Amino acid sequence: MRSFINPLFAVLLAGLLAACSSTPTEEDTSATDTQPTDSQSSPAEPVERPAPSKPDTSNIPVTADNFHNHPSNYDGTTDTKVIYFAFDSNTVPAAAFETLRAHASYLKDNPNAKVRLEGHADERGTREYNVALSERRSEAVQKFLRVQGVSSSQVEVVAYGEEKPAAFGHSEMDWAKNRRVVLNYTAGRP
Amino acid sequence: MMRVLAFPLIVAMLSLLAVNARAELLIQITEGRTDAVPISVVPFAGAGDVPENVSDIVRADLHRSGQFKTLSPKDMLSRPTSKEGLSYRDFRVLNQEYVVIGTIKPTGTGAYEVGYSLHDVARGKELLSETYRPPESQLRDVAHAISDRIYEQLTGIPGAFSTKILYVTHNRGAERPYQLQYADADGARVKTILRSREPIMSPSWSPDGTKIAYVSFEQNGLPKIYVHDLGSAERRVVAQFKGINGAPAWSPDGQKLALTLSKGGNPDIYSLNLNNGDLEQLTDHYGIDTEPRWMPDGDHVVFTSSRSGGPQIYQLNVDDKSVRRVSFEGAYNARPEVTPDGRYLVYVHRRNGSFNVGVQDLQRGTFDIVTQTNMDESPSVAPNGSMIIYGTQHRGTGVLQAVSIDGRVKVELPSKEGEVREPAWSPFL
Repeated sequence: MRSFINPLFAVLLAGLLAACSSTPTEEDTSATDTQPTDSQSSPAEPVERPAPSKPDTSNIPVTADNFHNHPSNYDGTTDTKVIYFAFDSNTVPAAAFETLRAHASYLKDNPNAKVRLEGHADERGTREYNVALSERRSEAVQKFLRVQGVSSSQVEVVAYGEEKPAAFGHSEMDWAKNRRVVLNYTAGRP
Repeated sequence: MMRVLAFPLIVAMLSLLAVNARAELLIQITEGRTDAVPISVVPFAGAGDVPENVSDIVRADLHRSGQFKTLSPKDMLSRPTSKEGLSYRDFRVLNQEYVVIGTIKPTGTGAYEVGYSLHDVARGKELLSETYRPPESQLRDVAHAISDRIYEQLTGIPGAFSTKILYVTHNRGAERPYQLQYADADGARVKTILRSREPIMSPSWSPDGTKIAYVSFEQNGLPKIYVHDLGSAERRVVAQFKGINGAPAWSPDGQKLALTLSKGGNPDIYSLNLNNGDLEQLTDHYGIDTEPRWMPDGDHVVFTSSRSGGPQIYQLNVDDKSVRRVSFEGAYNARPEVTPDGRYLVYVHRRNGSFNVGVQDLQRGTFDIVTQTNMDESPSVAPNGSMIIYGTQHRGTGVLQAVSIDGRVKVELPSKEGEVREPAWSPFL
């Protein structure tokens, strides 16, 4: 019992770790790799076949470090409208790929729908610099949607920096909740 | 009919006053210089019937500068109100170096005559003697003017007590949580310039102090840069491009705004001519360039750039667009300010995960951290170069603090309500 590790947990954990370790910092200003590929989303071979669609993620503890890539934040549908980011990063987390693909499909199927990608930063650092960082997050999501074939006329980018926090505390977890891009549909909301 | 209408108007005005009074900043000095100069400001004669306590304001001003140690009136051996009644000995005994005495009398028609004099206790000599005749509404202004004169007489540096502080407040839960306000440098006489449901950022003074520029997201949640005339309350949008419209900074001649636009695909510094609307791109780099400030010569702009990785301070030659890095200590240096003499750069520096305000001496090349709080940001320098006001956090709430440029004097300006941030110290008015 002591050494028992749920194989599913191990697979998901490996995925989380891989996503984290491959995350470039935002201080690296060259374009980051936001194009999703299949190899990126499954860096480890499963020992046992995991459940195909909705794995049970309840036993992965949510921490400030894995919050952005925690499966519980993304349901794979357009119901999920917030994408989280690691500290100092504008890399779209792998756990959000399915959700963003759902938004991309919706936007392609509904040419009248328009989405505003609202980028946010945590409170650390200076305000205007954080506006610039949060714009990079919005742009990373925009790039993801564009690669999926979404028309540029359907997507608008706004950068709010640290000015509109979702969590008002000052802990690592509050900051994790504030590093985000909100998909705000301004027309044709799903 | 008029009577019916007038009542809600009065109520509205009263509630506005109440809000302002509650939001007023309290200023207290937390750390003074050990070599602060002892000075006695004796309560002015005739002050009992005057709506503003002029001598109290002067005493508080001098105390708050950290340069002076003021004596409480209750500790004075005598409280002279005329030169004839002044016994230097009474102040010499208490080791006072200077003494200020004065009188206030009403002159009818709601005006006053305020006379004061400043005396050197050791030499038994008068240094200054002046008379002002303000209307009631300008009694505070006269008090600050007296503080300015005394400060300059005794330090050789013009006083900055008659200046204003512009800042943003955030009161979560209010219908319009974001407010742009300004107050006297001592926190009194708060005025609200703008209330909004959406963020307000980066307020900046025109060099003549008549106008301000700021970023407001009030229209449809998108950022626009406004120029706002404080006298007429008229304003206009000067930048509303696709993407970021941020970080406006007035040029020393008042003709241009440096600003950050991302319309070209990433944040770069531009210069906007306010007379004809001409826009000139000053930087062109795929990294983040933002937070521009003009050097006093008007030929150079300092700014934050991520071109070498993390944010660092760079200086741009506006003429040939050449750029050189000026900050080298640590991995995070951002949001530069320049002292009025151009000698010091003041900016946010990260050290061991803590954000503090640092001062770089451009002549000697030294760099010193002058704040010990955490999450310090948005430093702004007084027009006489003596103090830096900045935003920080106290018990999880945004507050303003001030520190002398040498780090020796610290002043707290806690707000009674909500967050206060992004202070901008006015020029001399």
